[in-house]
Amino acid sequence: MKTNDVIIQFTAKIVFFIIFFFSIHIFMAGHYTPGGGFVGGLLTSSAIVLLVLAYDLNTVRTVLPINYIHLIATGLLLALGTAAFPMFIGKPFFTHFFDYFTLPLIGKTSLHTAMLFDAGVYLVVVGVTMTIIQRIGEDD
Amino acid sequence: MSLQLFLNFALAFVWMFLSSNYTSTGFIIGYLLGIVLLFAMRRFLETRLYIYRVWALVKLTMLFLKELVLANIQVLKVVLKPKLDMQPAFFAYPTVLTKEWEITLLSSLITLTPGTVVVHVSDDAKTLYVHAIDISDVDEAIAAIRNSFEKAILEVSES
Repeated sequence: MKTNDVIIQFTAKIVFFIIFFFSIHIFMAGHYTPGGGFVGGLLTSSAIVLLVLAYDLNTVRTVLPINYIHLIATGLLLALGTAAFPMFIGKPFFTHFFDYFTLPLIGKTSLHTAMLFDAGVYLVVVGVTMTIIQRIGEDD
Repeated sequence: MSLQLFLNFALAFVWMFLSSNYTSTGFIIGYLLGIVLLFAMRRFLETRLYIYRVWALVKLTMLFLKELVLANIQVLKVVLKPKLDMQPAFFAYPTVLTKEWEITLLSSLITLTPGTVVVHVSDDAKTLYVHAIDISDVDEAIAAIRNSFEKAILEVSES
């Protein structure tokens, strides 16, 4: 018995973009205001989970062909690389660098290597959450 | 529709380049001039001028706000009545809308106006099953939805 889920599917398609934008905003805001990699990652995976609820696992897997195990590995490598890089130029482990750059469109911005570490955290959180949910969802 | 919107934006940018005024004011002036030009050339366009559809969308929003206030007052009357003589009912609403977004919008509008809730969309998406809190005449309710929300949504979607 297949029911007609037109309302939730259409709404999920639209709301997915809003949640995803909000997660990116939260991720970017982590340095000065509440937010950061962990919350951003959880919000991103919640957006994907909303799609999984509205459609099903296989549909979402064809729409977003991401191997979440590889995503975890990428995130860990990014975090480790950011932390280990200063050791090669004679600074202690986990030294962060920051400077002010003038970017097009945005203007004067402070760029910080902690952002890269946070991006690693973000990728790991998305990967772990989605792996757990996919594995439990596939279990029959 | 999207082609006309793109044309309007392109005209606005052309105006900005011509007047070498690369600010938001220049863009707005160019955009308004583009609307005037599109209106003058509307007989060459294959579909309806998109401004009409925007206007229909504004009218739909106004209609929704009006219905929201009126229906809330009706539900308040039902709630505050000392005698419980309301007649709840389920009824099937045959819809003429076909597209996904139209059905979703109509269901949301029916649900957001108090007193009626869409509980299910039939599998062939031709019937909405609606629950009403206090209804004496089903045909009257169907006609009311048909003449207000469905008509306004059709006005937005017709090309």
